[in-house]
Amino acid sequence: MLFLQLLLQGLQTGALYALTAAGFALIFGATRIFHFAHGATFAIAGYVFLYFWNAGQPWPGALAAIAAAVVFGLGMERFVYRPIQRHEGSFFTVFVAAFGVAVVVQNLIGMIAGRGFASVDTPLSMANEVLPDVFLAPIFWIAIAVAIVLFVALSAFLTRTHAGVGLRALAQNPDLLRAYGLSSNRLSMLAFALGSAMAAPAAILTAMTTGLNEAVGHHVMLISMAATIVGGVGSLRGAALAGLMLGVAESVALQFVDTQWAEGVSFLVLFAFIIFRPSGIFGVAQTR
Amino acid sequence: MSGPQIARRALLGTALAAPFAHPSLAQATDPYVIGTLFPMSGPNAEYGTLFTNGAALAIEHARADNMLRRPMRIQAEDTQALPQQGVIGMTKLVNVDKAHYVLVGFTAVSKAVAPVADRAKTIAVNGGAVGPDLSGLSPYFWNVIPLAHLETQAFIPFLMGRNLKRIALVYVDDPLGDAILGLLRTELPKAGGELVGSFSVPRTAQQFGPVAARVRQSRPDAVYIASFGAQQAQIIKGMRDNGIRVPLVGYSALSIPTVTAMPEAEGVIFTSQKFDYTGGSEVTRRFATDFKAKYGSDPGTYNANYYNAVRLFALLAKELEAEGAEVNGENLRRTLLRVREFDLVGGKATFDDKGDMSAEIQVNEIRGGRVVPIA
Amino acid sequence: MIAYAANLATIVAIFAILAATLNFIVGYAGIFSVAHAVFFGLGAYAGAQVALLLIPDPLLACLAGAVVAGGLSLCLALPALRVRGEYFVAASMGLQMMAVTLFSEAKPLTGGIGGLVNIPRPTLFGVEVSVLPLALVALALILLATALLQRGAFGRTLQALRDAESAAEALGKNVAAAKTLAMAFACAGAGIGGALFALHLSFVNVESFTMDQSVLVMAMVIIGGTGTLWGPLVGAIILLSLPSGLAFIPFIPPTEVGAVQQIVYGLAMTLLMIFRPAGLVGDLSKGRATA
Repeated sequence: MLFLQLLLQGLQTGALYALTAAGFALIFGATRIFHFAHGATFAIAGYVFLYFWNAGQPWPGALAAIAAAVVFGLGMERFVYRPIQRHEGSFFTVFVAAFGVAVVVQNLIGMIAGRGFASVDTPLSMANEVLPDVFLAPIFWIAIAVAIVLFVALSAFLTRTHAGVGLRALAQNPDLLRAYGLSSNRLSMLAFALGSAMAAPAAILTAMTTGLNEAVGHHVMLISMAATIVGGVGSLRGAALAGLMLGVAESVALQFVDTQWAEGVSFLVLFAFIIFRPSGIFGVAQTR
Repeated sequence: MSGPQIARRALLGTALAAPFAHPSLAQATDPYVIGTLFPMSGPNAEYGTLFTNGAALAIEHARADNMLRRPMRIQAEDTQALPQQGVIGMTKLVNVDKAHYVLVGFTAVSKAVAPVADRAKTIAVNGGAVGPDLSGLSPYFWNVIPLAHLETQAFIPFLMGRNLKRIALVYVDDPLGDAILGLLRTELPKAGGELVGSFSVPRTAQQFGPVAARVRQSRPDAVYIASFGAQQAQIIKGMRDNGIRVPLVGYSALSIPTVTAMPEAEGVIFTSQKFDYTGGSEVTRRFATDFKAKYGSDPGTYNANYYNAVRLFALLAKELEAEGAEVNGENLRRTLLRVREFDLVGGKATFDDKGDMSAEIQVNEIRGGRVVPIA
Repeated sequence: MIAYAANLATIVAIFAILAATLNFIVGYAGIFSVAHAVFFGLGAYAGAQVALLLIPDPLLACLAGAVVAGGLSLCLALPALRVRGEYFVAASMGLQMMAVTLFSEAKPLTGGIGGLVNIPRPTLFGVEVSVLPLALVALALILLATALLQRGAFGRTLQALRDAESAAEALGKNVAAAKTLAMAFACAGAGIGGALFALHLSFVNVESFTMDQSVLVMAMVIIGGTGTLWGPLVGAIILLSLPSGLAFIPFIPPTEVGAVQQIVYGLAMTLLMIFRPAGLVGDLSKGRATA
C-alpha cells in the first residue's frame, strides 16, 4: 500500500513538474534561450493568485496569475533576452542576465508579500482515505486533469495551427521562416507567452498543496531544466514525460531509501541520463 | 566611511543623548553600538525581522527609563543566515562600527562568528538558534535562549502524561536535529515511550507528501517536528494534508507567525521558554503590552529573546557605568559572571560559567492562531 | 578598519582564485561548470581535516585541498567529455545538487550540516600567519600559471577546442586529455581556495558550498569578462564589495537592508549582460567565447 500511496503522490507532484517543464521546454526548444527566470514567472503567478485568493476572488485571481506570467515572460523576452541576443550574446550571458532577474524578483516578492511560507487555504488539498491506508486529495484529480487538458490543447495548437507549426520550425530553421514571411520575433514572443502561461496553473496548484515562499522559483527552475534535458531538448512530450517521471521517482524512491535522499534522486536521474543517454528520452542524436 | 556621515551620526547621538546627558561625561555622547547579524534577505529573512523587532523595543524601553547615560543604536548587517556573510559582517561590526555588543542568530552563523568574537573580545549573543553545539564556543559567546535539548527533556513527561507514547520524528539532520534524535531515542524508553520512526529531510525539501506516507506507516501517537523557518509550515501542511491526524509537536522554533497563523497548525503543541504575559513579572507584562502596541501582534519567543539580549546589555552596561568602568567585552563578561541572575522577560534568568542561560520551560498549544501556554 | 579591510581582502582573494580557475575552463576551454563550489568545498574539507588531525600547516592544507579536488574533478570531466553547452551546464548542476546532499550526510568527513569547527589558525614554521598573504601568493601563482598555460601549446589546444571542437579533433589534438587536464587544473585551484577559506574562517559547513555560491563565482567570471586574465579578478572585487559597500548606506531601513542589497546585485548582473555582454574587461571588438 505504501508503494501505491507514494506512486499517487508522485503523480500529483509530477503533473505539476510536467506543466512547468513543458513551458520551459517550449521556450527553450523554439528560441534556444535558457530561460532561467522561468522559476520567477512561477513565483510571480503563485503570489498574484494568492493575493486575489485572500481578497476572496479565486477565478479572477487565476486569470490575473496567467496574465502576470505572460506579461513577465514577454517582458523578459523583449527587454532582456532580445537586446543580449542582438550582440550575439552567448548562452551563458543569457543565463547570468536571467539569473540576475530571478534574484531581483525573489527579493521584491519578499519585500512586498512578506518573507516566509504562504499558502492558499482550501479543503481541496486535504486528503481523505480512499482505500485502506491510501490517502488522496481532490486536488490530485484537478492536477491530473489540468495537465492532460493543457497538453492536449498545446499539442493541437502546435500541430494544427499556422503559428504552432511556425513555432516548431523556429527552432530548426529561422531563415526558412523568414522566407515564408513569418516573423521570428513574433514567434519568439508567442513561445514566451505560451511557455510562461503554462507555469501559472502549476503555480496556482502549488500554492494550494506545498505552498509558496519567495524562493520557490529556484527549485521549480532546476526541475524544469532537468526535465527538459532528460526528456530530450526540443521535445515537449519528452519534457512533460520527464517532469512526470522526476516527480514519481522523487516520491517512489522513499519506498527504498531514507527520506533525506529523495531530493538527490532527481539529480541522479539527470546525471545518469547525461552520461549514458545525452539525447534524452525523445531527443534526436545530440552532437558532442 | 565618509566624513559627513560620521558627523551626522555623532550629531544624531548628541540629539538623542542631550536630555539626559551627564555633565561630567562630555565625550560619552556616542551611542553604544548594538550590532545585529541576522538574515535580512533569503529564505530565512522572516527571522531577521522578528529578531530586530525585539531588540528595537528593548532599546526604546532603556531610553524611556534613562537606564544608560549613552543611547544605544542598532547597526544591522545582513547574513542571509550564511556563515561567510556572518564573518564579513562581524569583522565590520568589530572593526569599523566598534560594536559594543553583537546579536546573532542561526547555528552556522553563530559558529562562524564565535572565533571572531573571541579574538576581538567582543560579546556575541545568540537568542535564536538552540543547537546544543552552541554551548561553550567562546567565553565571549553567550546564549540567551535555553538550548533545545533542555526543551525536549522537559517535554517528554508531558507527552507521556497525554498518553502520546509512540513518537515519530521528522527532522533536519543538523546538530540540533541530531541532539533531539539522540534524546528521544534514549529518554523516551525510560519514560515508557518509544521512538517509532525518524525521518531526516534536507533543509531545502518542499514536498512532504511522500514523507507523510512513511510517517503514517510507523503508526505514531504524535509527530515531533525538528526543523526551523518556513520549512516547518510546509511540513505541518504536508502532514495534515496527507492524512496525518495525530498531534504534531515540536520545539520553540515553531513560535513564528508563519506557523501560528496557518489553519493547519491548529492544535500544534510545542515547548518554549516560559513567558507569562498576563500574570508574569512587571518586565514581562510591560514587554507584552508595548510590543502589541508597537507592532500590532502578540510577541513570540524570538521577540522576547532578543529583547532580553539587549536588556541584558543595558543591565550590564548600567553596572559598568556606575563603576565608572569601560563598557567592553571583558568587563561585560566579568559583570555577567558576578551578577548571574537577571530580571528579564519571562522572569528570573540565570547564566552559567559558559554564558548559557537556563530558564523555565513551558508547553504551548496553537489555538485559533494564538500561542496558548497549557503546561 | 584595517582588520575589516584585511578580512574583506582575504575573502576577495579567495574568490578571485575561484573565479580565475573557473575562467580557465570557461574562457579558454568553453566548459561552463556550475559546480565550482563543489571543488571549493572538497578543498575546504580536505584542508580543514589536515589542520584538525595533523598540523595547521597552510601549505600542507593547500596541497591536500588541491589533490582531493583535482582528483575528484574526474566526476565532472566525465560528462564534459560526453556533452557540451547547456547539457553540460545541466550535468554540472546535477553534480552540484548531489554534492550538497553528500556533504550534508557524510558527517565523519564534513561534520554534516553542523560543519567542522575550531579549525586551528595556520602556522608556518611555528609562527602563526594570516591567510591574506597566503591567498595573495596563491592567487598570483594561479594567474601566472593561467597566463603561461594560455600562451603555451596546451592553451592553444584548449582554445581550438573551445572554438571548434571537431576541427581540433581532426587536427589530431587529444581532446579528452586536454579537457581532463584543464578541468583538473581548475578544480585543484578551487581546492586550494577552499583550504585557505577553511583556515581563514576557522569554520566550514555545507552552506558555503551550495549552488548559489557556484553561480556567484560564475557571475564573477562573466561580469568581469570570460577569457581575460584580469576579468575574474575585477568580477570578484565588484560582486563582493557591492554588498559590503551597500552596508555603509545609512538610510535603508534595517529590515530591508538585505533585500535591497540583493536587488542591486541582481540588477547589476542583468544590466551588465545587456549593455556589456563581453564583461567589464572583455573587448567587444575581438572574438569571444560562445557556447
